[in-house]
Amino acid sequence: MAEEIRIGVFVCNCGSNIAGYLDVKSLAEYAKSLPNVVLVKENLYTCSENGINEIKAAIKEQGLNRVVVASCTPRTHEPLFRGTCAEGGLNPYLFEMVNIRDQCSWVHMQEKEKGTGKARDLIRMGVAKAALLEPQEPIESEMDPRALVIGGGIAGMTAALALGNRGYEVTLIEKADQLGGLLLKLDKLAPSGADGCETVRKQADLVSRHPNIHLMTSTHLDEVNGYIGHFQVSATTNGAKTQFGIGVIVVATGANVFRPAGLYGYDGSKVITQLELEEVFKSGPFAAKNVVMIQCVGARNDERKYCSRICCMVAIKNAIEIKEKSPETGVRVLYRDIQAYGTENEALFQHARELGVIFIKYDPARPPKVEEGKVVVHHELLGREIDLDQDLVVLSTPLVAGDDNEAISKLLRVSLDANKFFLEGHVKLKPLDFATDGIYLCGNAHYPASVREAVSQALGAAARASIPLSKGVMSVEPIVSTLVDEDACRGCGLCVALCPYGALEIVRGEKGRKVKVIPVACKGCGVCAATCYHHALSVNSYSDAQIGEQIRAYLEESA
Amino acid sequence: MQYTTDVRIIRLMCTGRVDPTMVAEAFMEGADGIMVVGCHFGDCHYISGNYQAKVKIGLASKALGYVGLNTGRVVFNQCSSAEGDRFVSQVTAFHDSICAIGPLGSAENLSLPALKDRVDTARTALASEKLRWVVGKFTEFEKSGNKYGEKFTAHEMWRTLDTIVIDEIATHGILKEMGKGAASVVELARRLEIAPPEALKYVLALQRRGLVGLAGVDGSTPSYKIVERPARAA
Repeated sequence: MAEEIRIGVFVCNCGSNIAGYLDVKSLAEYAKSLPNVVLVKENLYTCSENGINEIKAAIKEQGLNRVVVASCTPRTHEPLFRGTCAEGGLNPYLFEMVNIRDQCSWVHMQEKEKGTGKARDLIRMGVAKAALLEPQEPIESEMDPRALVIGGGIAGMTAALALGNRGYEVTLIEKADQLGGLLLKLDKLAPSGADGCETVRKQADLVSRHPNIHLMTSTHLDEVNGYIGHFQVSATTNGAKTQFGIGVIVVATGANVFRPAGLYGYDGSKVITQLELEEVFKSGPFAAKNVVMIQCVGARNDERKYCSRICCMVAIKNAIEIKEKSPETGVRVLYRDIQAYGTENEALFQHARELGVIFIKYDPARPPKVEEGKVVVHHELLGREIDLDQDLVVLSTPLVAGDDNEAISKLLRVSLDANKFFLEGHVKLKPLDFATDGIYLCGNAHYPASVREAVSQALGAAARASIPLSKGVMSVEPIVSTLVDEDACRGCGLCVALCPYGALEIVRGEKGRKVKVIPVACKGCGVCAATCYHHALSVNSYSDAQIGEQIRAYLEESA
Repeated sequence: MQYTTDVRIIRLMCTGRVDPTMVAEAFMEGADGIMVVGCHFGDCHYISGNYQAKVKIGLASKALGYVGLNTGRVVFNQCSSAEGDRFVSQVTAFHDSICAIGPLGSAENLSLPALKDRVDTARTALASEKLRWVVGKFTEFEKSGNKYGEKFTAHEMWRTLDTIVIDEIATHGILKEMGKGAASVVELARRLEIAPPEALKYVLALQRRGLVGLAGVDGSTPSYKIVERPARAA
């Protein structure tokens, strides 16, 4: 600690982006007056080669041991400047960024004086925090190069094969006694017309013969502990318990088809679901003369607000199949909105209409009524009720989340959405990852998907999962929680209960029960540090002292 | 997209990092208002940090309000990184409301040192173990229930927190006053602006815990003092 703090401050003009709106010269002048600052430079562009070289040279020549750059935003430039510090021989975590562009020049364009004043404060706060920064080393941990896939439907099998073909050992767990999942019950798949069972059988055959895939059917997942690279799994197969270690997990648990009990006179024989219609197709010739399909049954209502997305395509596919099997049969589809995005699906929709399938829009406020031999529906364009003959009613019901989703989400400590489907890490940037590292998702477990989508997602999830698998050693940003005061920790476990990532555990050591951080699993959110009433835990680069110093530095001057 | 120059931003990884005592400390340093801005629920990279933050900031506001701070000075908002306009409107609204409330101390009718002293009591209370547990378990109890599967509404949880906040502030207030020297219950009640029977209740509770003992009797009025004890005895 006796080391003298030598801070270098680099103030960027960003061309005219900053210099056009703030008095950068006075900022640089001001920075010289701050404690521990030994060097201040003003750059036209700090991120240019010149600027970068100046930082590197200053670290060497001026013996800087902290670098502060006052410029644009850490979103785009923090990695660059951290790298610069490292190249200059300074630990990259001894770098602090001040955003005088995003937080001053861009948002206070008409207030040069006040904006410059704010920039002064921000620089003072950054310098104050920088003085307390400590060097950090990247965290490394070995990877167990094996994978677990949960669920043996089309998504799970595809993911397992993709990982197996890449040379990784995969354990595939399926709760049923055979592979295939929902697809086993389907007849033909759109738009190719491929047979559902046949597709499944081919994949299942590849899976069961694959030398890298260890298949466990009739298996229940009991427990999952650990973190990326080091998961411990216990499972039960027909009463026999097994335990094994793996490095990553792919969740492909699928979904269930909603049973519309009590809706539209559903009875399973004269009023059936689309899934049951597929079984009718499989069982022999098609006999019904007039079929009425009703869309959005039990979906997009108060109880289930979401659109199951695939049911319109299923209805179109099955309407076409009826027309192909029995051209004389009348098919009417009562819908709210048709969801048939994608060129092939849109073409199928057109094809169905060419074959004579009639699509009639209904208002959910005036839903169709199923009566003996007919369906009564209010026709919006005619403005009156019309009767449709029927000897078979087919209800399009949504896919609903699997029964096990809640249990599995607790085992894996991953999130579910409002409808109990598994929730991805980020809707756009991490669609196949969970927020927790090393766990991935695909297929209906996430949201209703067509076979094509489920397969694409499975291949994507396998690709995501193979990134850590291929590395052998994981390297993680060291901005994580650390036990800074072991004596203060009483091992109460509140932080363990609140950690969203399972990155904390209580271990019994020489000094009794103490918390232990698993750095590779930690994301540095700081919930634990903000909760510990003994301040035993802290977050690297965001410690109580560092944050407190920033606050103090701001308010000391203005007070 | 322009907003007031009166705000300074402190970057954190997640609002879950905000310890409620930090909020109290910022007021002790002289801040006029504190806005904590986190992600939208269910859209947070850190999964549950923002739920924690909402309760923690709500608690800080309650505790600080209880010691006399205008609660409009503490706000929890939600805004995604893609919602610049929303951020601007939140900052602007907060700035307007702080301007209406006025500088620290003015709306409170207290001198700065007096207010900071009270905030310090709230800060000590906010650091207490019991509050931390209830805050920590808030979302779990509300969403999935306690160990026995009993669920509690947010209203019930806040009511529980309210009671604990009042207890903790009174308790820490008494300890703080006694730190200045032995005092009678009536004197403590006067200084803390609570009813003497209430003050007696807390003093007796502290006595049972072995934290406070009899200092002497002045006429018929007993006075109490802090019992010096080895570290971490409780």
